[in-house]
Amino acid sequence: MKSKTDEELIELIVQNHRPALEELYDRYVKLVYSFSLKMTKGDGEKTKEIVQQVFLRLWTTKRTYSSAQGKFANWLLTITRNIAIDLIRKEQKHTGAIQLELNEWRQIPDQQTEDVPQQVSRNLLKHQIQEAKQHLSEPQRRLINLLYWEGYSLSEIAELEKKPLGTIKSRLHQTLKKLRNYFSEETGGVRHGK
Amino acid sequence: MENKCENLSLYIIDELSEHEKEQFERHLKTCIPCQNEIDSLQEAWQVLSYDIEETDVPESLKAEVMNFIFEEENSLKTNEVKDKKHSFLERFKLLLTKQFSPLSAGITAVLIMGLIGLLWSNLQLKDTIIALENQSVSPTQIVRTFNLKGQDLATSANGIAYLLQDGRDNSLVIELNNMPGTKDDEVYQVWLLKNGNRQNAGTLKPDENGNGLITYRLPKNHSFDDIGITLEPNPNNTQPQGHKVMGTT
Repeated sequence: MKSKTDEELIELIVQNHRPALEELYDRYVKLVYSFSLKMTKGDGEKTKEIVQQVFLRLWTTKRTYSSAQGKFANWLLTITRNIAIDLIRKEQKHTGAIQLELNEWRQIPDQQTEDVPQQVSRNLLKHQIQEAKQHLSEPQRRLINLLYWEGYSLSEIAELEKKPLGTIKSRLHQTLKKLRNYFSEETGGVRHGK
Repeated sequence: MENKCENLSLYIIDELSEHEKEQFERHLKTCIPCQNEIDSLQEAWQVLSYDIEETDVPESLKAEVMNFIFEEENSLKTNEVKDKKHSFLERFKLLLTKQFSPLSAGITAVLIMGLIGLLWSNLQLKDTIIALENQSVSPTQIVRTFNLKGQDLATSANGIAYLLQDGRDNSLVIELNNMPGTKDDEVYQVWLLKNGNRQNAGTLKPDENGNGLITYRLPKNHSFDDIGITLEPNPNNTQPQGHKVMGTT
């Protein structure tokens, strides 16, 4: 089990192989747990609920994950974020034009960078993102926080910020570009564009 | 086109409606600037997820997660089985309620009751008719009696003929005694006489004591005046060939 790749484990899970699920749990629970804990602002019960839902989703998924679809950890975190946002929004009783059916697959960048051990890679990414955030303006940081971590939609953020939706949209675009440019400088621009 | 390009970041954060998403994907196929941007911007969005403090996971969590998953799965399966059992009856009920409004259900009930009533009275009527028919059929009655006396070869012979009314038909029963025996193909043949015409009414051979019995079912509305019996050299004659040996007195 230990020697299998994530992809092989997912294939076994599709065939209802429980030890494969347990192995994936051991590999990724820390990431999923920590991520969920941040999403729920440290709420242990809600975090547990999210982790349960994430691995249930993994167990019941009928789609086979393949490495061509991006890094497994990113895929897993996208699922985790969607589940967490569903939970947060349900609790806030936010209704209206909120999309709950998010497409996890399409969001995954086409990248294969895992030559370094995962933990090191994760720490590096964390270091990079925290560096990059220093380059953002206060409104941009706030936008990322509300949008990414608190699960607000752009129109909700526009209301909170008392700004037109168009302004928030272009702020998002500028923020993503700024982050992207910082990362590409840091990594020597290897993955810039196609 | 510029307008479509604005949706790039919304596409990346997945805030487009299904329709807008499809539109943007079509746009993406032909827009070089968007194609150049999408991967790197998507990656920037994705990397945000690593802005977390890694925390130690409680030891007990694994058991809780695994129990949750496999209990959930079991209960899902049991529910499916239950659903299947229920669904047949419920679908049937649903079908009925769909097909029948309260009014039409009422009308249907009245019609069904009416039909049952008709069937019942029909059966009653049938029984009555059968009883009436039986009454008219029975009892069998003797309408006429004829005494028969022998002559020539069979002077000692005598007999009685009864004309019976049996329902709508008539039948003739003739009983004969002290008949001389017959030889070879010889038979006694019964004739019904009406206005000088003779009609064959069957043949018989007496037993060793000289007794004989013959019944003959008469065609509807057939009547006759007298009965004659001849001794025929062979059976199945349409007109008498032998001598008359008995007749009504």
